[in-house]
Amino acid sequence: MSAAPGSIRWLLGHELRLAWYGMAGGKRRPRMAGIAIGIAAYAALHAVAFGLLREPDAAAVPDALLVMPLTLLLATCATFMLSRALKACVVALFERGDLDLLLSSPLPSRSIFAVRLLGIAATTVLPYLFLAGPFANVALVLGRPGRLGLYGALAACALLMACAGMLLTLALVRVLGARRTRVVAQVVGAIAGALIFLLTQAFNLTRHDGDATTSLMGLLNGGHRFGPDSPLWLPGRAVLGAPAPLLGAVVLAALAFVLTVGRTHRFFVHGLQQAAGSARVHARPAGALRFRFRASLFDTIVIKEWRLIARDPHLIAQVLLQLVYLAPLFLLILRGDTAGPALGAGITLLCSSLTGSLGWIVISAEDAPDLLLAAPAPQRTLRLAKLAAAAMPPLLLVALPLLWLTVHTPLPGVLTAFTVTAAVLSAGLIVLWVGRPGLRSDFRARGKENFLCSMLELASSLCWGVLGWLLVALATRGEPWMPVACAAVLAAGLGILLLARLLRRRPL
Amino acid sequence: MNADTPALRLSGLRKSFGRPAVDGLDLTVRRGELYALLGPNGAGKTTTLRMVTGLLAPDAGHVEVLGIDLARDPAGAKRGMAYMPDDPLLYGKLKPTEYLEFVAGLWGIRAQDAEPRARHLLDWLDLTKHAHELTEGFSRGMKQKLALAGALIHDPHLLILDEPLTGLDAAAARQVKDLLLSHVERGGTVILTTHILEVAERLAQRIGIIRHGRLIAEGTLAELRDRTRGGSLEDVFLQLTEGQTG
Repeated sequence: MSAAPGSIRWLLGHELRLAWYGMAGGKRRPRMAGIAIGIAAYAALHAVAFGLLREPDAAAVPDALLVMPLTLLLATCATFMLSRALKACVVALFERGDLDLLLSSPLPSRSIFAVRLLGIAATTVLPYLFLAGPFANVALVLGRPGRLGLYGALAACALLMACAGMLLTLALVRVLGARRTRVVAQVVGAIAGALIFLLTQAFNLTRHDGDATTSLMGLLNGGHRFGPDSPLWLPGRAVLGAPAPLLGAVVLAALAFVLTVGRTHRFFVHGLQQAAGSARVHARPAGALRFRFRASLFDTIVIKEWRLIARDPHLIAQVLLQLVYLAPLFLLILRGDTAGPALGAGITLLCSSLTGSLGWIVISAEDAPDLLLAAPAPQRTLRLAKLAAAAMPPLLLVALPLLWLTVHTPLPGVLTAFTVTAAVLSAGLIVLWVGRPGLRSDFRARGKENFLCSMLELASSLCWGVLGWLLVALATRGEPWMPVACAAVLAAGLGILLLARLLRRRPL
Repeated sequence: MNADTPALRLSGLRKSFGRPAVDGLDLTVRRGELYALLGPNGAGKTTTLRMVTGLLAPDAGHVEVLGIDLARDPAGAKRGMAYMPDDPLLYGKLKPTEYLEFVAGLWGIRAQDAEPRARHLLDWLDLTKHAHELTEGFSRGMKQKLALAGALIHDPHLLILDEPLTGLDAAAARQVKDLLLSHVERGGTVILTTHILEVAERLAQRIGIIRHGRLIAEGTLAELRDRTRGGSLEDVFLQLTEGQTG
């Protein structure tokens, strides 16, 4: 039976339909091929789950041993969910989509807010259900129906994180105002997404004596206060389908949802009104009019690109996330493990990835390409300036760590500087040559929009990253096979660049 | 450059996107005139303007801007003209001052020439008090006016405007019309497309009517009236565009 127009069910259907279209970049329904691939992947996950769960060893693992890792896993998922929910809340507040239409209709703002919050929770939980659901399904077939609790636990977790994300975003609007919230919420979202990675890296990088695994397993002793009966592991028990913890999780999520909707739906509308005016800044008196005309076209372009990036909080959050992943590498340097081949590979990969992202923003997502084409400026200078605008930030970012590295271990430092420079230039040139025009707002979907460019970027990053690893390893321990491997990987990296040049849509 | 050289000369211009969008267009716009290019939706007006400004390459034909062949010397031809499409070419994250700095940089204008001109344009178009706001918060009219300021920052001879008055309120439309007339009074040339026939009727010295990528009528308003049974430009336009098929 179809839902009555204007009802919460009807609105939820609308919300989910938009989310479904959004999976294909928001422009069309997902194609049949994409749906078929999704179904095949889902079936394959069932096969993998069946292979793992039918093992007698797997069946024999007592729940008491599973609660701790499952709780930790759920906590990890929760941080990613919070990150995603924060981003979705910022989008809901600042990009609005159809909210102006909905709020101008006679529908109660409470219903609109409730459905938007449910939509955020649903889109947040979907990837986790896709990946983890097959394990619960297979467990059901193998006679462990309690494992279906996974669905309830994940849904409750997603709803809690959606509420937390919305409350945090609205609190930021109240404390900081709409303009700052957009930046801060996205940065917090990015950091939340990387939190577990940073914590694990911090654990790895901490000098600790003894076997950590043994210590952790010791916690699971029945007598320990953090043993299997500890309330700390209730989320893990909810995932395993224990009725009381599962019911508790669902009730907690429902309560959070009802309270969030009831208490904040008016402030949500107020936040929307604030966000609508957030682009404006206070006018200054006419006397304060200042210009800085630059003599060089190159400088003019570079400054313009950097300004556009610096003023886009969404892009800053995306780029910052990549920088967050750089932090453990810098900790490695400070700790003194400067000669590690992983360091060379890591810095190279991250700089390449960062340049690819910035290159897409600067080159492919040009806001006014017609203005540049209609100008008498040499197009080659424009392209070179854009390439420089994309390549300079990653190089400047790693300049000091590389200098530090070179001073302490000269050869690995110089070799890493070489692979970083080559990777940065390759990533920029690939985007310049084969990148397709796009909109800045489609930043996250850029891989889907231009598969070829993304694949070439990825392959190039991997080549230079592997070369970074090999060269530093060669410099420090020099296995006989390494020079040949270095030559092969270098050839592959240059070959990818050559392929991009052959397929180019624009000249340099 | 000879003073008799037309501001724009198109000969045999063709462009096809599967079906012909511009089909052997011949057009000459004299220096110092305000020329209105009219036509129904899909007639080929915007495609023509995009070829004139070098944004689209013609399949055949020639474009000459101020006596310079666009194909041979695109930079030279572009230096003397400015283009403002119906959707303003702006950057939402730039302030008006920064936008004008950028456009002046693209056209290679020296700071000492650009700065007084930028101040004058912002002042004239009532944008000075908004000079430190990001343009993403601007109304349609303010965006249109800023794009016009960008088009005029290098003091072009030939100003090409695609639907410059769309979405403007009466005050902003008046400002833009005054600005265009002033440009022509100072010896400049303006080519514009518009769906607001009253604008063409009041501002244009000559009017060209284009349909299916071909120029089907051209002349002053009086000449066009003589060709048909008179009346307003709207009557003339409807008779000409509905009277001919295919």
